[in-house]
Amino acid sequence: MVHKSADEKLLSDLRSFLGDRARDGDFELGLYSKDGSVLKGDPMIVCLPIDTEEVQQIVLACRKHDRPFLARGSGTGLAGGAVPVGDPVVIATAKMNKILDVDIDNRIAWVEPGVLNLDLSRELSPLGFHFAPDPSSQQVCSIGGNVANNSGGPHCLAYGVTSAHVAAVEVVLPDGRVTLLGDLTPESPGYDLRGLFIGSEGTMGIATKVAVRLTPNPPEVRTLLLDFADVRDGAAAVSSIIAAGLIPAALEMMDQRAIEIVEAFVNAGYPTEADAVLLVELDGLPGGVEHGVEVVRAVAEHHQVGSVRVAADDAERALLWKGRKNAFGAVARIKPDYYLHDTVVPRGKLVEVLEKVYQIADAYDLIAVNVFHAGDGNLHPILAYDADEKGVLERVQAAGRAIVTASIEAGGVLSGEHGIGLEKRDYMGMLFSAHDMATQDLVREALDPDGFANPLKVLPSGSRCSDSFGQHVPDGAWV
Amino acid sequence: MSPVGEVDQRVLEFANVVGASDPVTVVGGRTQWAVGGTPEPGTREVRAPIGIWSHEPEEMTVRCGAGTTLGELTEQLARHGQMVPFDMAPEATVGGVLSVGHSGLRRLRYGHIRDLVLQIRHIDHSGQIVSSGGPTVKNVSGYDLCRLMVGSLGKFGCIAEVTLRCLPIPAVTRWFTGFLDPFEIFNQMYRPSAILWDGNQVWVCIEGVVSDVAAQASLFDFEEVTGPPSLPTAGRLTVEPKELRGHAQKPGERWIAEVGVGVIHTDCVAPHRTISDVNLSLMKDLEDRLDPNNRLNPGRQVLVR
Amino acid sequence: MKNIPIDLPIPTEDLVSCVSCGLCLPHCPTYRVTQEESASPRGRIALMKQAHHEGAINEEFVEFIDSCIQCRGCETACPAGVQFGSMMETTREALATQTRYQPWWARLGYRALGWRKALRVGSTVIGIMQRLRLVPRRLGLPPIPILQRSLIPSGSDVWLFTGCIMDAWMRDTHRAVQRVLESTGAGVAFPDKRASCCGALHVHAGLAPEARRLALRTMQAFPGTAPILVDSAGCGAQLKDYGHLLGTDSARLFSERVLDVHEWLAQHLDDLPKKSGLSPRIVVQDPCHLRHVQRSHESVYKVLGRYVETVSLDDDGLCCGAGGAYSTFHPQIASDVRDRKIQAIEETDAQEVASANPGCLLHLRSGGLEVRHPLEIVDALITKDE
Repeated sequence: MVHKSADEKLLSDLRSFLGDRARDGDFELGLYSKDGSVLKGDPMIVCLPIDTEEVQQIVLACRKHDRPFLARGSGTGLAGGAVPVGDPVVIATAKMNKILDVDIDNRIAWVEPGVLNLDLSRELSPLGFHFAPDPSSQQVCSIGGNVANNSGGPHCLAYGVTSAHVAAVEVVLPDGRVTLLGDLTPESPGYDLRGLFIGSEGTMGIATKVAVRLTPNPPEVRTLLLDFADVRDGAAAVSSIIAAGLIPAALEMMDQRAIEIVEAFVNAGYPTEADAVLLVELDGLPGGVEHGVEVVRAVAEHHQVGSVRVAADDAERALLWKGRKNAFGAVARIKPDYYLHDTVVPRGKLVEVLEKVYQIADAYDLIAVNVFHAGDGNLHPILAYDADEKGVLERVQAAGRAIVTASIEAGGVLSGEHGIGLEKRDYMGMLFSAHDMATQDLVREALDPDGFANPLKVLPSGSRCSDSFGQHVPDGAWV
Repeated sequence: MSPVGEVDQRVLEFANVVGASDPVTVVGGRTQWAVGGTPEPGTREVRAPIGIWSHEPEEMTVRCGAGTTLGELTEQLARHGQMVPFDMAPEATVGGVLSVGHSGLRRLRYGHIRDLVLQIRHIDHSGQIVSSGGPTVKNVSGYDLCRLMVGSLGKFGCIAEVTLRCLPIPAVTRWFTGFLDPFEIFNQMYRPSAILWDGNQVWVCIEGVVSDVAAQASLFDFEEVTGPPSLPTAGRLTVEPKELRGHAQKPGERWIAEVGVGVIHTDCVAPHRTISDVNLSLMKDLEDRLDPNNRLNPGRQVLVR
Repeated sequence: MKNIPIDLPIPTEDLVSCVSCGLCLPHCPTYRVTQEESASPRGRIALMKQAHHEGAINEEFVEFIDSCIQCRGCETACPAGVQFGSMMETTREALATQTRYQPWWARLGYRALGWRKALRVGSTVIGIMQRLRLVPRRLGLPPIPILQRSLIPSGSDVWLFTGCIMDAWMRDTHRAVQRVLESTGAGVAFPDKRASCCGALHVHAGLAPEARRLALRTMQAFPGTAPILVDSAGCGAQLKDYGHLLGTDSARLFSERVLDVHEWLAQHLDDLPKKSGLSPRIVVQDPCHLRHVQRSHESVYKVLGRYVETVSLDDDGLCCGAGGAYSTFHPQIASDVRDRKIQAIEETDAQEVASANPGCLLHLRSGGLEVRHPLEIVDALITKDE
């Protein structure tokens, strides 16, 4: 690996206050060149700050030396949002992992960005609360990453995504100023900069403290596993459940290949012979849950369900969810690499788009695995491949593009929860007009006029003229 | 495929009406007209398109012109057992409610109205259409301009079309009252839809299936009522939810607070809240960028200077 | 500068089996205390990929690889079933054979483990020095006996593996285990001095050739077909791995005979004496090599649960930081990792801790906890009843 020699002056400035937490070792830089996606970049220096002040000092040092920067949480992003391009300094916030205050009366917890999503919910559990967004990677993804991507998760069907669960964010702005966006009151004065910041993928600054809302744990939870001999029946059942006026806490779908690899990992008794399963969770007060179970059963029977299994206890429930939440990683049991999109389509188009996904995978001689948030139409078509196979990357990229196109044509959007990052920025034009994107860029520039924060992300180059580190997604970025 | 091609004809017409030069303001139902001040005299008044353009019950989404009244929206959705819990006057318009950005009475359960917005098409200062968000129930494609538009009092553009997320109408909605500690109710009840309190009396909205509502109501010594009390309208304060406790001691005014939320409806004029210098500079910068000639809703102010 | 040439003989298909999803991170004790990618399983595999690809390393690489405790908690967390442990062992072996990793004094120390007489003499010397207060307490060593009574065999139904350090320092634990085994009616046999050390620490240190030599010798000490029971989770995991380490049929057959002592007892629960009296609350610390490697930690709960109220920790079996010799060479990280474990233990209201691995037991004791082997607890309760 060849990378440009670190800017010695910047490094010594950073070391003056970070000590050995400013790193430029060859091997270590390599470790921060990737996130959970298939893309790879090249960091200039890696910083490991422990508080807001250090993040601010790092940003100011970067500004002084004209060097862009990007924040990184747990590095589990799937769209390359934390892949360093444009030779930036990586600011890894993983060490900022304290739960600062739990304010039950306001139903708020103040946390640092490196706190892991599941750690937070576990910590809150004895108090009877949790943090509602629960990405499948929740055991490792950080709250800072959730804020950057406006993350979702299975339970966002009923509870909403991160933006609805974050009251305020302390941010180090790209010019080094520190400010609080939003507050603990129901409507903070002025424009909703908090709402704008959440989901801006680190291009408007770096979150250093987050006030998350606490959601009460439901008194009753019931998890059902439905299996179908035909994936189309499963998809149709999804629409019918929602159309019946029920919003389950979660409504997830897995196709046959997904069931097989997941079962190989968890041994939860997933029916490996089924064409598809639905994992349905109902929560709330007992009467509503009971009613929901009845509705789901009736709908499922109408759609030729094979069997309906109700998890007997928390342990069984946890095991079923463990399977679902580990599905992406388990794809390696088929092929060593995977590439996935996370388009959202209208629920009524699930069957149609799923069939297209299989056709596309066949046409490009790839294996498609589907495991996704069916309840909100958020697909996760995974293409499994072996990067060492000659010419496979071109096929994977072409198939990916075809899947995105099919989803948009069905009335869908590019991303439900993974974000645009580096990977999908060149697709933005499929969803937005040039003027839409120019307006978005205009807004971004209000917070980062010089393009220092996480350059080359979200919007395609040339959305406006000021892309000061302007270049295209590097050709060698795919690994 | 050109994304612009999908834009409804009525939005295109509205773009022409808004135009690109003179000062302009969008009139809705005039139910919250004074919020942020009234537009400068001479400002041209325009009305956003009306009508429900598509409602797909199984998608639980509805797309409508921003000038559509809540009354019409409520009626249309109710036919399919659905709702958008805005909880405002029926003559208010969708665009107006979003521009003002005040949350509804049942926020405790359903969240802020901004979280129900999926897609907004607005006409910007140059008379061009800008789409943000997306039509699906979940979406993180691009910057979240929708949230920025909510509560912006039309300073960033004239909202033309809105796609909203719908919710099923609960099996029953019941209001109860009693002379009880509202904070105790907040701590003990599982996700009530609203807890209102005037410092003395409490009103609670409980929704769900019959058995759950009955069980929740039986936790306290309640009497059932037909609906919420009338709210004072002169002022609207927002405080941290826990600060409501301290508000109990203030004499001389009639107020009703949303417990667990932090909104106080009062018959006194509420003081302006200050914005930090840093945030104010960012917000002013946004205004300058998105409306360089100050033609959108001149006179009306989100930022108190 | 990557200036040290290396040939990392890890099969490519093993290296690429990691898709870098990161789900292992929170299950890695060193990542948990450092939050640094270089101290995570995903990071370490990425390091191996870099070294494999470029054929060169540097001190930075060695430091990162050496910081792994080899608890293999990442393996049970990995949805793709990545064989991290064997990749790490191969990497360390490559370092030990091709670079100056493991200096002469460390190699000598490891050598002594397999040399029963040297270990006994050394231990006696330390024991005497301890009594003369010449051994600093911060080393965290337990009180080491000066004279050891012999273990007396009682039959040939089962073998009990005695090991190196444990035999030299904790023979009383073996005696307690023997009594519990005998309470089921089984006669217990002990191996001769050829079974002086299982070689686990050697494999961890990259000294695989030495480990293979010890394995061959150890196997000879267990003639017949009787089950070979082990009361140290680390040793048990190693004995079960002989088939893989040596790759021979006889080694595979040997490994099949090996059981953790709790596994065997869990199969003979009905033969154990009935419980009586009050049940103390005991928190069970799952040794990594029982939970993540042998994957048989449940048997401890079954056996112990017959006599006490067992409390499990909700930390996904995160390592305690002992890691065989790890705590000696990386005292700071080992102590930070232990702090997390101690906190988790203190959050329960249990009266005592049970640990089925001597390394963990000593490490936790030096952290100030009251810890016994599960079967010492059982033995005390049975003996009291008698």
